[in-house]
Amino acid sequence: MKLKRFLLRYYPPGILLEYEQGNELHTKAVDLLTLTPDTDVEVLVNTIVRHEPLISEQRKPQVRKLVYKLIEKLESNEAQNFYLFKILRAHILPLTNCAFNKSGDRFITGSYDRTCKVWNTMTGEEMLTLEGHKNVVYAIAFNNPFGDKIVTGSFDKTAKLWNAETGELLHTLRGHATEIVCLSFDPHGAIVATGSMDSTAKLWDVERGVELCTLIGHTAEIVSLNFNTEGDRCLTGSFDHTTKIWDVPTGRCLHTLSGHRGEISSTQFDFSGELCITGSIDRTCKVWNTMTGQCVNTLRGHNDEILDVAFSCTGARLVTASADGTARVYNTMTGACQAILIGHEGEISKVAFNPQGTKIITASSDRTCRIWDAQSGDCLQVLEGHTDEIFSAAFNYEGDTIITGSKDNTCRIWKC
Amino acid sequence: MGLLTLLRALKQNDQEYRVLMLGLDNSGKTTALKQLAGEDVAHITPTQGFNIKSVQTEGFKLNVWDIGGQKSIRPYWKNYYDATDGLIYMIDSADRNRAEETAEELAILLDEEKLDGVTVLLFANKQDLITAMPPEELMSALKLTSQRGRKIIMQPCSAKTGDGLQEGLKQLLDVINAAKASGK
Repeated sequence: MKLKRFLLRYYPPGILLEYEQGNELHTKAVDLLTLTPDTDVEVLVNTIVRHEPLISEQRKPQVRKLVYKLIEKLESNEAQNFYLFKILRAHILPLTNCAFNKSGDRFITGSYDRTCKVWNTMTGEEMLTLEGHKNVVYAIAFNNPFGDKIVTGSFDKTAKLWNAETGELLHTLRGHATEIVCLSFDPHGAIVATGSMDSTAKLWDVERGVELCTLIGHTAEIVSLNFNTEGDRCLTGSFDHTTKIWDVPTGRCLHTLSGHRGEISSTQFDFSGELCITGSIDRTCKVWNTMTGQCVNTLRGHNDEILDVAFSCTGARLVTASADGTARVYNTMTGACQAILIGHEGEISKVAFNPQGTKIITASSDRTCRIWDAQSGDCLQVLEGHTDEIFSAAFNYEGDTIITGSKDNTCRIWKC
Repeated sequence: MGLLTLLRALKQNDQEYRVLMLGLDNSGKTTALKQLAGEDVAHITPTQGFNIKSVQTEGFKLNVWDIGGQKSIRPYWKNYYDATDGLIYMIDSADRNRAEETAEELAILLDEEKLDGVTVLLFANKQDLITAMPPEELMSALKLTSQRGRKIIMQPCSAKTGDGLQEGLKQLLDVINAAKASGK
């Protein structure tokens, strides 16, 4: 085994080692999930070199430089405010979802007007309109980190794969009996998973555009779907009150996570894939061990339905958004509520951490988004201007740009 | 409302019906919907997209989808036809100039395959205005041809005052229930 080169992964912080083994190139990650600006760099570098046989003693100065770079990235845009950069009269009907590619130079919006549009983040220029769906385009995604393909899921029961550069339709994925409402590329970009109101999820081969398997078992609508970081597990949340963990290569159901007393609204794996969270209409969020399928914590406190849940990029914290107008930040390990985000005057339908894990964005029916300090829970900023409720909000990978999509048919770009 | 609310409104329960409310712009759809939901109707602007509200009537929950009526949005009405239990068609009875236009849009809806057999409630709205056509005159202006296997209810109302709205909804619910009971 011979180390070829180092690669940096900013969020969550990690050093990727590219090495050669028998003429083949492999990559291995040294995850530094607990890295903070206060970390003792010398101790950390010594620990890394001691534990990682690929890194020799002579490489120490190089590793030290990389760690400093990662810390610098964690601190960037810390104190900056977002300002309204552009209003895009994006669609003639309300927007559904929006998403960035990895580099953040492009983003996509889906709409009730049956189209998906590709935008240039820097100029606000409309690059492409992806037309072909016969009904609402509800779920959309880039095949990040590559960003050269887009998948759109529609109420017309189909999903479509597109070339993100040319707008060419690559494949139409047919097979669901009713609306497709959630989807995702696997992290390798080889598989697309779709979840439908027909109670099934399906895995599709991206290259050939054919169905690989149907994930059967839920007894009601599937509304949430995610892959783990490795891409070998898939999570589906359903209105049947359960969440299921599936083995991607075989399509087999490994665990059914039951315990919620209401419909599941949102699900997510943590970065390690060892835990997942489920938010429910029953006002609670549960943390599960994905190996055993056991519930390790039930997070209570909201006075109304939980509509969205999200992990921070490292998985150390999680946030829940509720119809009660508040969001709550919890410590994943202890289950302790660390902050309550109070200020919105309507339900919060979307919540996300920035990639650095320092800020949280909430999108509300009160027509505003708010930016919060993830540590203290203080409201840092109110993003005002939309004239109707906001359905979606997303940070780019650098954490310095936000897009918001609203029922008012516009999309807004905010920068700092 | 949020996107999750949309999905839950798409989903059907036994005690829940999906009702689509269409009609020309400025016919009073949003006003009627807000009036039925017990909300303030003082400041209503043209609907650019849609509104969804749940209205409780006689133990049933009606998920009413109010879709904008402007000409540019009308081609998108068909996005909402699937799994519709009842159609409310709102008419501005005082707008004689557009009686033909509203009749044409209604005729297109009644021809729509996906709305085949769906019960239609015609709201002859704005009866509080003295210039409003009475229901009989409106009915003949609509030039409705015979409708096989479909029940059409005509109900005069005023979305502004709320008069006639509940009555119309109740009739619609009765017909939908009867149709379900007879296994249609």
